[in-house]
Amino acid sequence: MIKVKNLKRIYHKGIVEVHALKGVSFEVKNGEFLGLMGPSGSGKSTLLHQLGLLDTPTGGEIFIDEINILKLSENEKTLFRLNRLGYVFQEYAILGELTALENVYLPLLMMGKKKKDCINLGMEMFDKVALGERAHHLQRELSGGEQQRVAIARALINKPKILFADEPCANLDTESSRHILELFRKLNEDLGQTILMVSHEEWHKKYADRIIYLKDGLIEKM
Amino acid sequence: MFKNLKVSFFLACKSIKRSNIGTTVLTIAIMSLIFVNLIFLPSIVEGIAETIEQQTRDHIYGNILIEPKEDDFYIDNVDSLQKKITRLPGVLGTASRYMVGATFTHKDKFIGGTLHSASPADEIVVTKYHKGMISGEYLSESDTDEIIMGLDLTGEEDKEGDEADLGGVKVGDKIEVTFSNGVIKEYRLKGIFSVSKMGMDSFAFITEKEMESVLGSNNQASQILIKLNELGTEKEFKKKFMELGIKEKIKTWEEKTAGITEVVVSSFRIITLISTIVSLIIAVVVIFVIIYINTIYKRKQIGILKAIGIDQRVIIRSYILQALFYCFSGIIIGSILLWILVSYLTTNPISFPIGTIRPVIGTSLITQSILSLLIVSLIAGFIPSWKTARESILKAIWG
Ligand SMILES: Nc1ncnc2c1ncn2[C@@H]1O[C@H](COP(=O)(O)OP(=O)(O)O)[C@@H](O)[C@H]1O
Ligand SMILES: [Mg+2]
Repeated sequence: MIKVKNLKRIYHKGIVEVHALKGVSFEVKNGEFLGLMGPSGSGKSTLLHQLGLLDTPTGGEIFIDEINILKLSENEKTLFRLNRLGYVFQEYAILGELTALENVYLPLLMMGKKKKDCINLGMEMFDKVALGERAHHLQRELSGGEQQRVAIARALINKPKILFADEPCANLDTESSRHILELFRKLNEDLGQTILMVSHEEWHKKYADRIIYLKDGLIEKM
Repeated sequence: MFKNLKVSFFLACKSIKRSNIGTTVLTIAIMSLIFVNLIFLPSIVEGIAETIEQQTRDHIYGNILIEPKEDDFYIDNVDSLQKKITRLPGVLGTASRYMVGATFTHKDKFIGGTLHSASPADEIVVTKYHKGMISGEYLSESDTDEIIMGLDLTGEEDKEGDEADLGGVKVGDKIEVTFSNGVIKEYRLKGIFSVSKMGMDSFAFITEKEMESVLGSNNQASQILIKLNELGTEKEFKKKFMELGIKEKIKTWEEKTAGITEVVVSSFRIITLISTIVSLIIAVVVIFVIIYINTIYKRKQIGILKAIGIDQRVIIRSYILQALFYCFSGIIIGSILLWILVSYLTTNPISFPIGTIRPVIGTSLITQSILSLLIVSLIAGFIPSWKTARESILKAIWG
């Protein structure tokens, strides 16, 4: 369902060129839980950004469900993200002006659902990520682990074809991390959720079906 | 489109609800003062214009003024003309006047001016001098040796300086009048009036009977003032008068004052325009800064919104809605302030030399102010949010 061909991303830092991705090709099957590992600076986040349509690669091709997503217009990309993708950032990227619940159902609202349905579906999702009683709290009233679970709930609310997660446990303690990884595993097993997760912790490996190792912007092994 | 507007509205509401109350209150306060400023000064200028016009109608021209034909010095057959005019329904009254140059002398002081004649019964219907008597009395029909004068001619006793007047003559004093035809006659000052500093206080009146006997004329006039029942019907009546076959010059008060009011008011209008522009610039800057700081501060939020698939236009619109919220709140609070201010000034009008001034707020002034503030808010809300929302997602989130 995801096909990546010779993907390149060059950053320009003044006159210096940073080759973050030097030509990466791989495929991900429907329902797969793929781990992306590699040392810091190897290009994991960059790769995920390209796949998640948050950035535009310098070269190569990406097909998701046979759609050449690099050919989409900005508005089409936005709609694509809204309807088909879920993204969890390394940092807690939740909206400070919205409550946890509002954060979670916002994508549904944007998809045109009625507010009442949004709230109901949002609450259901809250139960899934075990956050029920924190629904009406603002960001500043939530712990790091809770914020990350809000972000995950928001990424899942639109039933995305693919869930991207960039070191979702980087800022969490082991207990919270395990909780989230188990949630991913369960989503993958029970609902067949396709997941691409970046991590650099060895013990996270066991949750994924398959691991791709990156090094210096290239696939080292897979 | 409509669904998307719902999302913009949702985001704008939450943003306002969870923003700093102090900032919100301050912003709305500034916007409301800007709105007050947009309306207040022009309303005073409008009030001044209206007072000037009212004064000239009440004291100099009436609603319509009839003057001698080209090349004639007087209007002839005044009585029949007046009757003809008064018969028309909608005409409240007419007053004919002779106007002659004269010199007024008291002891060693003298001053030149225009002496008018008045038929008291007619004048009372058409003009308001009788209401402006500050001492003594208005003329009565049978007076022959009496004169009434404006305060600028009589002068005030205690006033220092070399003002050109009679140095504070009092009711009962003898005034020697030298007519332009050479006749010199002494009159008793029967009353002093003060109606407006626009020139009317330099007028003096004797009865028509007396004037005709001095001039040796009969049934003539320098002008006829016509008072109508309804303001605003002048053009219509002018046409009717012409249809009656009146050959004399017929001018509405607007035609007569066009020059004067324009000169006075246009200078004020320039000040008003400057003040309006300054107010609008302040409004632009305030909203711009607030939305700009808001968006800068919320760059990361905007990045996240875009990352999860919220359309950039929805985000921009949410900021425009916030700007409109500040704008409308300002207009509402400003309207309340204005209402208080205007009700106060209506019961306690400001005293100007030309008369008392009440603010006059027309609907066009209101719609114009609301519209300009609205447009300004739209622009000031749009530009900063558009600039920020256009940024790439990753840059917005991580700087
Ligand atoms: N916006 C950027 N501008 C310039 N260089 C960047 C940018 N983002 C990432 N890089 C560089 O690209 C390389 C890969 O970064 P990244 O994908 O974040 O690595 P990882 O996530 O594996 O730690 C690094 O050398 C990093 O410094
Ligand atoms: Mg990274």
